[in-house]
Amino acid sequence: MKLPAPPTEKSFPSPLHHPRVATVIGRWLGLAVAICFLTGLFSHFQQDTPGWLYIPSRPASLYRITQGVHVLSGTVAIPLLLAKLWTVYPKLFAKLPWPPSRQALTTALERLSILVLVSAMALELFTGFLNTLQWYPWPFPFRQTHYALAWIIIGALLVHLAVKLPLIRTYWRRTTADRSPIVESLPPAITGLTRRGLFRTVAGAATLVGITSVGQSVPALGPIAVLAPRKPNVGPQGLPINRTAKDAGVTGIDADWRFTVMGPRQLSYSLDELRGLPQNRSDLPIACVEGWSQGARWEGIRIRDLLRLCGAPPGSRLRVVSMEKGGFYGTSELPAEFADDPLTLLALRLNGNELALDHGFPARIIAPNRPGVLQTKWVHRLEVIS
Amino acid sequence: MKTRIALAATGVVVGLWGLWLMLDNVDLPALIRLPLWLGGAVLADDFFLVPLTLVVGWLVTRWSLGPDRHRTVTAVRTTFLYVGLTTLIAIPLLLRQGQGANPTVLPRDYLRDWLLLEATIIAGGLTVFLLQRSRFTLRKSRASSGDIGGR
Repeated sequence: MKLPAPPTEKSFPSPLHHPRVATVIGRWLGLAVAICFLTGLFSHFQQDTPGWLYIPSRPASLYRITQGVHVLSGTVAIPLLLAKLWTVYPKLFAKLPWPPSRQALTTALERLSILVLVSAMALELFTGFLNTLQWYPWPFPFRQTHYALAWIIIGALLVHLAVKLPLIRTYWRRTTADRSPIVESLPPAITGLTRRGLFRTVAGAATLVGITSVGQSVPALGPIAVLAPRKPNVGPQGLPINRTAKDAGVTGIDADWRFTVMGPRQLSYSLDELRGLPQNRSDLPIACVEGWSQGARWEGIRIRDLLRLCGAPPGSRLRVVSMEKGGFYGTSELPAEFADDPLTLLALRLNGNELALDHGFPARIIAPNRPGVLQTKWVHRLEVIS
Repeated sequence: MKTRIALAATGVVVGLWGLWLMLDNVDLPALIRLPLWLGGAVLADDFFLVPLTLVVGWLVTRWSLGPDRHRTVTAVRTTFLYVGLTTLIAIPLLLRQGQGANPTVLPRDYLRDWLLLEATIIAGGLTVFLLQRSRFTLRKSRASSGDIGGR
């Protein structure tokens, strides 16, 4: 028995496998990737700030927006990537040039760059989406892999753009073929799918995915966020959590619990004494690296007041020490501009009540423009780094 | 040509930086398994998802060859596509339903929500389908009644 011949580039009759279509959808995907990369970079630098970089503490909701946009652009990129891969699918069956020549080598290298680009991007979007569910079924660390893959994607994308630049230039502008059915073969006349029709369908798909998932960052759209792993108002005191007190090994506090500040002067307070210090209110969001966010009303002591009380010089940084056991975020560092911001609190109350244990009772840090993982919970010590 | 060379050179440098980050931060056993996952992602795209859309697209195109069907094929195709796409994204949510790290992760009834979403998409598609068909039949009946041009 003879096996059917493998498909070739010519086996795909739809005229929508066309460079103009690839250029338009590629443009959208490129935009989504660029936005996703830049917002991701911002989030990475928030958690791992290089010495040369200054991150301001305002606008207070900046991180909420950038990280919401990061997850949204990544999710929207899923339909865009699939559409792009569909458009260029016949290329997968293009014959490899033979015999070996300089031209053949260039083609092989180009193919390799595309393999890197496609595999890295598909895995990046997949791991990124599963991370928002806090599901890690793979054998490699998420954060490091996600970050390194992002740079590999950008590198492979630049190479891809360099290779395709003449084609992109030719098909950058709209042609009449976008509007009218293409006459060279039957399907569009019969199926009515013009290029413009395809663009609309893909844009619609991206919008649909966006609308059904953005509600985890935009509480007003929460009820229809059926494809989002979070609902911004579900959780103790109307706020979701990432790490529970049980996971962190924190069970509450003893009667002799003390909160200490280690600076030029040592300060030590019981919980009642903390409550007796001047209290302030901040309306600040919790914005998580997984993209969800929710605004809340916090009450507590300004960090800058505590710094002043312990005699720390202006411009001091702080190490924040939690009672939690294990995990990467048992301590965090509060840079000077965040420690000095009047909105930054050692919060004791949330939305009108004492902090729930899962939200960091008895005391937690809340600062503007910071990822949730750095809003350290169950704080029992502050150390001035000067 | 200069632009292209500059782009390609920057791309290679940036890509190598990513590779170095990967080698530096991920330990050996994980690094060895990573290509399997990268390859798996390509296989899933190129040998499952895209062929699936091609086959469904081919079936829809064949169906659309019937009389008058080309008027409504857009609604049918778009509905199929949106149902498939939203289902693909919903799969991890459905698989992990009730297994969130804590009760605030995956708090919805995703099965109900997924069914509602698909029902909404299908209802939307059906509405467009019926509208398009009725507009067509209306035009045809007017034309056949001697009202030339369907006006």
